[in-house]
Amino acid sequence: MTSGPPDAEGMLIGDGQVPLLARPYYAEGDPGPIVAALAQVPELLEVALPFIGAALGPSAIDWRVKEIVIVRTSALAGCRYCVAAHTVVALDAGLGLLEVRALRAECDIARVFTDPRELALLAWVDAVAGGGPIEDAPRDRLRGYWAVHEVVELTVVIAATLMLNRFATALGLPSSTATLDRLAEAGLS
Amino acid sequence: MTATTLAAAVAEGTVPGRVWMYANYHCNITCTYCLSESGPKVRRRELGADAMLKVARQAAELGFTDLGVTGGEIFLLPYMPELLAELSRQLPVVALTNATLFGRRLLARVAALAGRPVALQISLDRPDPDANDAMRAPENFAKVVAAIPKLVARGIRVRIATTVESIDDVELDRLCALHRDLGVPDADHVIRPIVARGRALDHGLGVHAELSDLPAELTVTADGAFWSPFGPTVHDGRLDTDLLITRTTCPLEVPARALLRLVQGRPTGADSALNIR
Repeated sequence: MTSGPPDAEGMLIGDGQVPLLARPYYAEGDPGPIVAALAQVPELLEVALPFIGAALGPSAIDWRVKEIVIVRTSALAGCRYCVAAHTVVALDAGLGLLEVRALRAECDIARVFTDPRELALLAWVDAVAGGGPIEDAPRDRLRGYWAVHEVVELTVVIAATLMLNRFATALGLPSSTATLDRLAEAGLS
Repeated sequence: MTATTLAAAVAEGTVPGRVWMYANYHCNITCTYCLSESGPKVRRRELGADAMLKVARQAAELGFTDLGVTGGEIFLLPYMPELLAELSRQLPVVALTNATLFGRRLLARVAALAGRPVALQISLDRPDPDANDAMRAPENFAKVVAAIPKLVARGIRVRIATTVESIDDVELDRLCALHRDLGVPDADHVIRPIVARGRALDHGLGVHAELSDLPAELTVTADGAFWSPFGPTVHDGRLDTDLLITRTTCPLEVPARALLRLVQGRPTGADSALNIR
């Protein structure tokens, strides 16, 4: 179940109208608004979902690290939907309440995160998600702590998150009731 | 997938050979069982002559064997007679029409289709005007039985499609006698059930059709490519997407490739079960 407009003004494809290529994504019930919107263009859904899954799902990069990147990127992009959804995922990934608040720019990040490796990463997220040209300094700092392939993958995570941030924000995708309930429970509404 | 792969799939019957095109969705009449909720005031959803020619060319290149053109009433589009002739240079065409617009001028223009591989498929549901017109439109029966002999006389192949909930043997015999009198042989008479989609739902008509009941005929519309011409239906003014394959229709290889994949993923024996053609 999702909150907000029942079907985001017809943007979201629900039961009974699921296109053929999108049906596997609905096999286990409501696939969420990103899939339900992408299902409008099934040939894009088919290629976008595996990419999003590979970029943001389990991989060689630690789950906690990925959620640090995703929540911080989404907060910088001002994406209400992605911040809400990934706040919940970040808590599941083991981040503390204070850490999540810091990533959401609700308190000073430098007072919460102290690991130099994570601080270098956060500086990289701020540089990439902030827009405009990117100086050598944050890249060099990141490479001091992370292998080249990790730098590449983390950058893909930021970029993929930004794509979803703009997609969700532009289409006004509604957060699920379950997400909103979890946020309320955690005092992060 | 190469064109050869698809051509082989068509040749072996894995994928039906006909590609359908919805030329438009608007119509001069408002049938009770219309899948596309067509009528005079609906969105036209016009595919366009150029797009239809591209589909025809690409369908031929990919190994499809036939074209189908439907609507809406296709002869509301002023370019239709000449377009059908052009399409038939690529592949044989069956074009669906309600046959209510064949005045002298249109008859003269469609006369050019004589001798070409074009068949006009005309809806005629009942042998009696009242029963026929109740489902279709006032004067529909009279217009149809007037138009068919004129088309036949001009050398145009006419098929008759009868779409009914049910028809008893006596009524069917009378209908067949009628179409023979009009110059249409039994081989060109098809009988098919009303499908419970589109406006038929509002009237409680039709049989429920599953994916497996519908032949996998690639169907191109202004809104995308669908599985079967029974796919791009409209209800309450909204396009149904449950049988949508892709929004991309050009290059045609994109939906054709997806259709082949879907067909190959079907369980064995899951072929059309309701004779919905």
